[in-house]
Amino acid sequence: MKALMSVGALVGVIGLLLLVGMILDVVPSNTVRLVEGYMPIQMLLEFTCFVAGFTGLSYMLGSMGMAVPRFWQGIGFWAFVLLYLKFRVYPPIPFSVRAMYGTVSLVAVFMWVSANEEDWKKFKQPIMNVLDAQSGKNKLLRYAYLVLLPILIGGFSFNAMKPKSEEPIELRTVHPAPPASTKVHGKSYTLQTSQNPYRVNLEGKFDQDYSNKLIVEQSMGRLMAPNANPWDEKSQGYLKYVREGGEIFFQNCHFCHGDNLNGRGLHAFAFNPIPANFTDPGTIAQLQETFIFWRVAKGGLGLPNEGFPWASVMPPWEQHLTVDEIWKVILFEYWHTGYYPRTWE
Amino acid sequence: MGLVTRKKVLSIMALCAMVGLLLFPVVVSLPSLAIGADAPDAAKKEDAKAEKGRDVYYKTEGVVAGAPAPKTVDGPRDYPRYNFESRVLLWFANQQHLYYGSFVLAVPLFCMVIEFMGMVTKDKALAKRYDQLAYDFIKISLTAYSLTAVLGGILIFTFLTLYPAFFGYLSSIFRPVMHIYALMFVAESGTLYIYYYGWDKMKEGFLKWIHLSMSVILNVIGTLLMFLANSWVGFMMSPAGVDEQGRYLGNIWHVIHTALWNPLNIHRLLGNMAFGGGVVAAYAAYKFLASKTDEDRAHYDWMGYIAMALGVAFLIPLPFAGYWLMREVYAYRQQMGITLMGGLLAWLFIIQATMIGILFLSTNYYLWQAMGRMRGAEKYQRYIKYLVFILACGYMVFITPHTMVMTPAELKAMGGQQHPVLGNYGVMSAKNGGINVIITTTVLSFVWYMRGNKVSTVSWAKFGNIFMGVFFACAYVNIIWLAILGYYIPANVRVGLSVPQVATTLSCLFFMFALNAVMMKGAKQMGPIEWGKISARSQYALIMLATAFTWMMGLMGYIRSSVRLFWHVNEIMRDNSPWAYTHTVGFAANMISFNVLFFWVSILFVFWLGSLAAKKAPVEVKAAVPGSAPQPAGSH
Repeated sequence: MKALMSVGALVGVIGLLLLVGMILDVVPSNTVRLVEGYMPIQMLLEFTCFVAGFTGLSYMLGSMGMAVPRFWQGIGFWAFVLLYLKFRVYPPIPFSVRAMYGTVSLVAVFMWVSANEEDWKKFKQPIMNVLDAQSGKNKLLRYAYLVLLPILIGGFSFNAMKPKSEEPIELRTVHPAPPASTKVHGKSYTLQTSQNPYRVNLEGKFDQDYSNKLIVEQSMGRLMAPNANPWDEKSQGYLKYVREGGEIFFQNCHFCHGDNLNGRGLHAFAFNPIPANFTDPGTIAQLQETFIFWRVAKGGLGLPNEGFPWASVMPPWEQHLTVDEIWKVILFEYWHTGYYPRTWE
Repeated sequence: MGLVTRKKVLSIMALCAMVGLLLFPVVVSLPSLAIGADAPDAAKKEDAKAEKGRDVYYKTEGVVAGAPAPKTVDGPRDYPRYNFESRVLLWFANQQHLYYGSFVLAVPLFCMVIEFMGMVTKDKALAKRYDQLAYDFIKISLTAYSLTAVLGGILIFTFLTLYPAFFGYLSSIFRPVMHIYALMFVAESGTLYIYYYGWDKMKEGFLKWIHLSMSVILNVIGTLLMFLANSWVGFMMSPAGVDEQGRYLGNIWHVIHTALWNPLNIHRLLGNMAFGGGVVAAYAAYKFLASKTDEDRAHYDWMGYIAMALGVAFLIPLPFAGYWLMREVYAYRQQMGITLMGGLLAWLFIIQATMIGILFLSTNYYLWQAMGRMRGAEKYQRYIKYLVFILACGYMVFITPHTMVMTPAELKAMGGQQHPVLGNYGVMSAKNGGINVIITTTVLSFVWYMRGNKVSTVSWAKFGNIFMGVFFACAYVNIIWLAILGYYIPANVRVGLSVPQVATTLSCLFFMFALNAVMMKGAKQMGPIEWGKISARSQYALIMLATAFTWMMGLMGYIRSSVRLFWHVNEIMRDNSPWAYTHTVGFAANMISFNVLFFWVSILFVFWLGSLAAKKAPVEVKAAVPGSAPQPAGSH
């Protein structure tokens, strides 16, 4: 047990040192890289390691007679969560999300320190000591709080009320609801039921399963599936159309959406927000192909009222591409990113 | 005829009268359904002449039997108004009616369960306590029942006076249903009063079973009432039984049985139960905090625990019912689903996730506090910090928004709209994992609570404990693994992954509860449950639970209603009032908070009224309050 706790304590100390280094800007945030594709679970595992480390550290300090009081354990852990989110995770997390996580962790700390009477008493003790002010030090602290707390609250209030010249926060609707149908080049398409006419097998029949097997594998490096190279001139059916879609993509789309489809094209950083990152699981992976068809055809100008603040400069591609070309480019986007379009059956 | 026999005959007659009341509306509605059956040939000829329409949902053909949906214009004819937003007035009236309606439908269901528990419990003192508790519950709901009816009247008047064109159209479609509804309400009232006032006269033996049967009928009527009201809401969201112009096609079942009717029914039934449990638990918590004697504290502590347990029993399946409802919404109209979950109303769903998390966190916290009144539970308390960690991680994933709120500067620093780490938590796959982890942890807390003051004496206790530990560990691994797998498979398969995830969670619930019950049969007790000796914090957790329920109900009602956007009846009847826009998140949150506040102030008044007519508990029941002989731990 003691050996296990020692290992835990070691992990805790190393983790804390790294974090302190990141806070002081001595150690870059990406010293321990967040690996693409595994980032979310990596973050959770890191967090778990820290908790295990703190458990070990607390145990070891306790056994050495230097136990950290419960009050400081609680405060310290909460501070750790806030600092971890601010300095470890990159790219930077928006304040609104950090505030949400910070509140949850504060509630969690409260639940932990007040889960039973004994712990709650231990946690409250330093606060009660200051309030009771039985010793000179506590008396001094009480007076200090009496002066500092109103100043602190006043400062926060002043800061909140002070007129600011920052750009306002925008609650952008990334995926506004599409219309029931859309008219492109004189033909109406029902978005609920339309299908990509080029998602076909070698016999030329619509075959979702067939095309699903031929997409790029999503593992690190995004490898093409065996015998599924659309750039092979002999490729027929789905793969042939993927190639044609790719050609359209690189002639028209990659300047903004990037040659890796991650939204970091040549012109991308002229815009804010930068163009959509198709490799993110929150974009095309969540949508039906018909949704993409509508968005590509109508562009930023065709966003509905719901698409506030209409922060999209994508041209209405129906003015430049044929319907077939739009479908093919969508086919390519799904193939390249390794995502499956949303279907209902 | 002896006194007992006469009572039996009278009680059976009362029961028959209730069944009659239940069937009466159906019988009354039969002639209207049978119209046209008298002269089939004549009807066929008329059919040939009559104009036909195509059902917008069922795609069947039917004879047009109603006027088209009115094309309203903004003005005093279609939208008469005060110098105030009519929609907000309607929102308020509707929400208050729904709160009270939910409460008075849920409480009789609780009464039925508790009365039944009292009847099958062998411990007589405990049986009396259950009976008293059921009586206390129904007493609370009785005053609320009158208020529900009053609020229903206010709601109808609000509709008639502020939205006459819309209400006229709706009532022209649902005419027979509305009449059946009204008659069912009469049946519900009659049954409720007989059930309540017959309590003392039918407290033993055969008569008690008749009394319990009455509560079954009462609940059948109540549930049917709710289903009928849901059919109106379902029609407004996903109309059926009418053609594209909104003309009724003569098939009332199609109008009732719309695409979203069944998911709405299940979701609302479970939601009402969870809400009712929360309100009663809050009532008990309030009484506990105000108690001056240990005896009262013990009673209300127990009452709070039972109400919380019943409420949570229905809270656990509630997210799954909600998931089914959303799935059906997507299947009905993709754009409706996207508006809800990914578009305009997506942020309200994040708030909803936050509220769901609060519900589960409060429940866990209450259970951990409740372990404090058991000797022997200390062995579990030191591990609570790990449960807190698991819950917090699940909660953070669950509430991560897909569309983050940020300044343009933050957006630029992030390098695009999607955050590469947190963006992954913002989609359904991760959220399903998050909520299932939270629910599984709640089940684990319950298991710990149930065995808190006991030590298993079965010979295979060690093996049983290891098995339980491994089972829970495997459940967590399976849930998280499936959440990760969801990113790598087609969306239609991913949606199906929720089934094994839910099955894992429910397996923990049923198998582990069952195994725990077997292991704890004849277990050595480390000490009694000291009812009343629970921290005040636990009672605030119960109040928090009830408030979160109330707030969430208001929020979900608003979301469900707003998703129609500028339609009174989706794609059939357009809302042309000046208020056919979606409120800002801030305004909606303020309005919901106002509704919650009003409900709680008014229900406190109801509780106070109930206390004026407090029924004195029999002396022997008071004497049996915890601390002495019977320990309600058996209620686990």
